[in-house]
Amino acid sequence: MTETVPHHEAGVSRALDLLRSANARLVSIFGSTDSGNTDDNRVRRVHYLIDVNGREYRMFTSPVTGPIPSATPITPAAAWYERELHDQYGIACAGHPDPRPLLFHENWPENVHPMIDDTSHVPWIDNDNGGQYRFLKVQGDGVCEVPVGPIHAGIIEPGHFRFSVVGDTVLHLELRHFYTHKGTEKLFENTPLMDGVMIAESVSGDNCFSHAVAYCQAIENAFSISVPPRAQAIRLIGLELERMMAHIADVGALCGDVGFSVPAAYTARLKESLLQASTRFFGTRFWRGIAVPGGLTRDLSSAETGEFGGRVTAAARDFAQMARLILHTSSVQNRFESTGILTAEIARQLAVVGPVARASGIRLDVRRDHPSGRYRNINVDVPQYKYGDVLARARIRIDETAISRNLINETLKELPAGSVLVPVPLSGNAEALSAVESPRGELLYWVRIRDGKITRCHIKSPSFQNWPALPLAMPGNIIADFPLINKSFNLSYSGCDR
Amino acid sequence: MIGDAVERSLRSPQVLISVGELLSNAAGSRMPDVQPDLLTGEVARRVVAACPTSALKIDEAAGREYLVLNYGDCIACSRCIAAGSGAFRYAEKVARCGVSKAALVRRWDIQSRTEVVENEPALSQAAEQIRALVGRALNIRQVDAGSCNGCEAEIVALTNPYYDLERFGIHFVASPKHADMLLVTGPVTRNMAAALKNAYDAVPSPKLVVAVGACGCSGGIFGGSHAVVGPVDAVIPVDGYIPGCPPTPSMLLTGIVQVLRPFSSPSRRRWS
Repeated sequence: MTETVPHHEAGVSRALDLLRSANARLVSIFGSTDSGNTDDNRVRRVHYLIDVNGREYRMFTSPVTGPIPSATPITPAAAWYERELHDQYGIACAGHPDPRPLLFHENWPENVHPMIDDTSHVPWIDNDNGGQYRFLKVQGDGVCEVPVGPIHAGIIEPGHFRFSVVGDTVLHLELRHFYTHKGTEKLFENTPLMDGVMIAESVSGDNCFSHAVAYCQAIENAFSISVPPRAQAIRLIGLELERMMAHIADVGALCGDVGFSVPAAYTARLKESLLQASTRFFGTRFWRGIAVPGGLTRDLSSAETGEFGGRVTAAARDFAQMARLILHTSSVQNRFESTGILTAEIARQLAVVGPVARASGIRLDVRRDHPSGRYRNINVDVPQYKYGDVLARARIRIDETAISRNLINETLKELPAGSVLVPVPLSGNAEALSAVESPRGELLYWVRIRDGKITRCHIKSPSFQNWPALPLAMPGNIIADFPLINKSFNLSYSGCDR
Repeated sequence: MIGDAVERSLRSPQVLISVGELLSNAAGSRMPDVQPDLLTGEVARRVVAACPTSALKIDEAAGREYLVLNYGDCIACSRCIAAGSGAFRYAEKVARCGVSKAALVRRWDIQSRTEVVENEPALSQAAEQIRALVGRALNIRQVDAGSCNGCEAEIVALTNPYYDLERFGIHFVASPKHADMLLVTGPVTRNMAAALKNAYDAVPSPKLVVAVGACGCSGGIFGGSHAVVGPVDAVIPVDGYIPGCPPTPSMLLTGIVQVLRPFSSPSRRRWS
């Protein structure tokens, strides 16, 4: 449901009024310039996407001519969205407590906003232009600053963490990300509908199928296309398999971070067995190139469903046994319990989503709250834990792996017959929204299409939403537990930075 | 409890993949290969039109037409396979891993339906020096210079019990100062370019750099972005390229070994 308000004061204030109410959760704030009407082109617009009562997405949009009032004082979850809005569109948010640049570092000139300005003249300069990012300074006797990153030990994505510590104890953590910022939303502009899915698959490679399905559903919603039931079912299988692989790998990595290497190696093996099952039955390890607007490029023959299901079941069974062992190991309990607590109150203020929210007592799941495709026909169990520590986040992933296995097996048993692809009109103008529950939480694509091309694609990534919560789980913990706490959130840098 | 875990692990079936099966194996990568006997001018034009990243081109030289496939530009979307009427299929093996940029390119003479085989250009001098120095031990520092993390997922998989990179004496190290090789993924973003240069400078000489994935080789789909500087070799010198989107663990291993292939000295044990 979209409301367009002609005068920006009215539109923005209605969105802010709604955000003040208890039943609203901020989903995203983003800009655009093209309203789908040629005369209006180049007029900047702001969009507020809000989840009302946990069941309905509402969008407010209005043109912008000058600064708009910031939503951050009402809901801190708006802070990064409004910083991004300024970086991309030059829309200032009056009253924002932290208007520092977000997307670009010192190498980018001030006052060049890539979504509205020509960027072809901005050269890459070898060293930065002398600017210095202002980190919050924590001062006092014995306070030390520990800078970590952007390059970390291990095979991980880049990002910067600035710890203020006394001894081993962390007083404050500040993030500086967007090292992998690739201007992805800009790249979507003027992309043909069928090609956009390739960009979506490269937003966060380990969740590429979730991104592909979210993008494809947005296109399908725009043209009111219904995808054949068989394609919906196989999409569900792919989404749940991606979740299983992510959760199994995460639990294993948590064990690796507490020096429990046997389950770490064992779970790595289980994940690989699922990647190889994907290769065997779908010809791709990460389900790239499978989802396209209108359905799927690949089907599963009925002779194969049994064997595929068997492999999924075997991996889930072995994982469940290993998980019991992990949870009953006292050294693991000692490290996981009460480490990195994210309270429900902070999680709510920052509108945290996904397994991190569910481990902090917030029962949100797109599959249940805003179902699409096959999820409309089924009930999804949504587990919840209230402690918000590393253990709760590990337990959520263990429980959800079993739930995903059941969803896959039930779907395989009742796989509808028929084709897996319907044609999509390659012309026309439309706008639409689509949400899926990725392994990291609520993932949302909003697209605007004109003459069969994407003119704007906004990606609300669960990692962008959840990263600001990580620093608030750190104070009082020792710095040596940071890798463990960070892993228990397991957020994507590329998905956040885009 | 820990005893149970160890026991369970020991009881689980052996999954290690043999070297012979691993090398060049591209299963699941969706990279294309060409059946030259089915290649026609019409098919060539169709696949070139279908390719979203211009990895496929038609070259004309001396009145003959050549189909050119640059693996470094290929994002494995498989549209050429759909459009190629059987002349294109999923590659079972991609041997062009860990090679020079020029060797990422394959050419087929369309009229005679044969591949034009060129000699592979010599590897860099650093590669020769490193091989002589490290023998069977290689320390790699992986640097993500802006990747989507697909390549990272596959590099992490190299350490799982199926691929067990350590059996080759290859380790991932935490500091570039301990490294012989930088394994760099991603299109280099503006925000990572300085950090990548710093990491490169911190690796003691002689050093090797391997660019990984379509983005690392050519910039991939991000090549034209305002936020991206370019492929890895736009920022630091590169000795070998591993194509793929993402390359499979087998392709990664092949590429690393290829760059490091031991001298042909008979006294040295070979990997393959």
